[in-house]
Amino acid sequence: MTRSRLRLAAELLGPLALVGVVALVAAHLSTSDQTDAINVLVTATIVVGLYVFIGNSGVISFGQISFAAVGAFAAGIYTTPVSTRQTTMPDLFGFLGRPVLTNLESLLLAAGLGALFALLVGLALMRLSGLAAGIATFAVLEITYNILANWEKIGPGPTTLASVPVTTGVGQATIGCAVAVVVAFAYQRSRSCRLLRASRADALAARGIGVSIVRHRLGAFVLSGAICGFAGALYVHSLGSINVTEVYLALTFSTLAMLVVGGSQSLWGATLGGILLGILSSFLTNAENGTTVFGLSFTLPNGLSSIIFAILFVGALMLFPRGLTRNREFLAKALGERPARVGVVLGSGGKPGDGSVTGDGSDGTPAAATTAHVTAVADPEP
Amino acid sequence: MSGDAAPPAEPAGRRIEAGPERPLLEVSGLRVTYGRAQAVDGATFAVGEGELVGLVGPNGAGKSSTLFAVMGEVRRAAGEVRFRGKPLPGRPEDVVRLGLAMVPEGRHLFPSMTVQENLQLGRLARRPGRTPRLGDEEVATLFPVTAEFARRRAGLLSGGQQQQVAIARALLSDPDLLLLDEPSLGLSPTIVASVFSALERINALGVAILLVEQRAEMTLEFCARSYVLVGGRIRFEADRHTNVETVVASYFGVERVALGNRP
Repeated sequence: MTRSRLRLAAELLGPLALVGVVALVAAHLSTSDQTDAINVLVTATIVVGLYVFIGNSGVISFGQISFAAVGAFAAGIYTTPVSTRQTTMPDLFGFLGRPVLTNLESLLLAAGLGALFALLVGLALMRLSGLAAGIATFAVLEITYNILANWEKIGPGPTTLASVPVTTGVGQATIGCAVAVVVAFAYQRSRSCRLLRASRADALAARGIGVSIVRHRLGAFVLSGAICGFAGALYVHSLGSINVTEVYLALTFSTLAMLVVGGSQSLWGATLGGILLGILSSFLTNAENGTTVFGLSFTLPNGLSSIIFAILFVGALMLFPRGLTRNREFLAKALGERPARVGVVLGSGGKPGDGSVTGDGSDGTPAAATTAHVTAVADPEP
Repeated sequence: MSGDAAPPAEPAGRRIEAGPERPLLEVSGLRVTYGRAQAVDGATFAVGEGELVGLVGPNGAGKSSTLFAVMGEVRRAAGEVRFRGKPLPGRPEDVVRLGLAMVPEGRHLFPSMTVQENLQLGRLARRPGRTPRLGDEEVATLFPVTAEFARRRAGLLSGGQQQQVAIARALLSDPDLLLLDEPSLGLSPTIVASVFSALERINALGVAILLVEQRAEMTLEFCARSYVLVGGRIRFEADRHTNVETVVASYFGVERVALGNRP
């Protein structure tokens, strides 16, 4: 395999392997610890969903958890037995009263609704960037929360939707997270995503060469909405219940922190951040209820987990402003994203055999100034 | 508000000449405002097919705003911009598909992409079914650095090299008209000379060029015709025979008149 193919393989297999490791460890845990592991995988799926939009577009969004919320409630309601729906949510619209969907159907429905909701929101908001985008997407989160918390015709309102079938175990959470990773990977290899990334690097230049930024942003937003909706369904099916406060501010900020700490501009960063900080978060939460590490029992005061999380977040931002992965894909540096070695080629016009300096080594072409070389350059990437 | 309906007052004896014979780009009464600030205040000019036209003026004259307004990068508050007789759309991604390309000031390459990736993106807006005026080989011959550093990240190149890649990228969209904003900015005299000689050859291949520059003397010498933009208006048209000192004086002179006119 050539270096660039290896790099491509690592870009996908690195995150997948990480997900697989979590799954393997989870398979040997006690049932209660398995719940935590499933939660880590589901959270990581959300972070991958955030990455698809935020990482690729460079536009901040506080609204993606709305899509997870819509997915979670849709999947939860449609898998609850009809009789339970009638007693716990008597005001539901008729179309929410039946049918009863299977687990898989509800996951697909949640992804579809997440995408649809994102499309509606995105059509209005995708012209925005920077602070305006942050505020507007935050407003989406607020609106979604308030509607879900108060409108009892579409859900349980402020009460908890309980007795949702628990169908998401370690296996399904692993597959779900892996699917999100594969989708995100396929997307970032796409033409649309490359153009979107160009606009992230320089919006003026991107428009100037003919990139319709709004269109490509909307695509990423909708795909991100689908992944978040899907993750919301995994969430509700792993816990068997959901309250609207669970898919609101705390989840928004913790998943954003995971994305940023991991490295918001690489899939590897999103996955690593989601899983590492997910593990840390569930450990700290458990410690508030008393835990034992190496035979040492202790109990953290309530709320300390959030404070520690926040301190780590700030610390990570100061030490690694581009995240733990420095926004690189898995092994990208080792496999040939070459550091600058200015001076070796400068002015030399290319010496035989110095292709490894400026070339990516995949075809052994010396980086000499030949027109033939440029013709090859203009070919689309293999 | 100032200058709402009043036509731009032309200084006596400095009449704008009749436009080119075969107009490609026609701008009339163009106005650009940023909040209450008037950046372009009724600019009227034209670029003909295959022409090499300069647009000079002091800082803040509205040169960049004029280019941005032509491309649709900023909103045109008033006036008409026509290309081949048809009004130009208001978004750059649509404008570039009609055969205009801009090299913005400061180059704006995609720094983390390689030179060849930058160039590939330049071909995005090519019009289908047309043989490009400049093929990849011509572009590589014009700007050897694009081949020499094809696989180098664009952000690692020097300013002059980046400028050449930026022009090459714009050329690869196969434009009929190339808009250049201060291509000499920050470049050493040798590089400026080589960039300008490349522009000359590009123009010889039939690509019209509108060159925005602050360096009046060099531009007047280089372009067949030049417009002098001061205070958001075209003050007059100059050519190679125009005394440079007249032009430079107009930077200040007309400015003084404009100040004097203000109530």
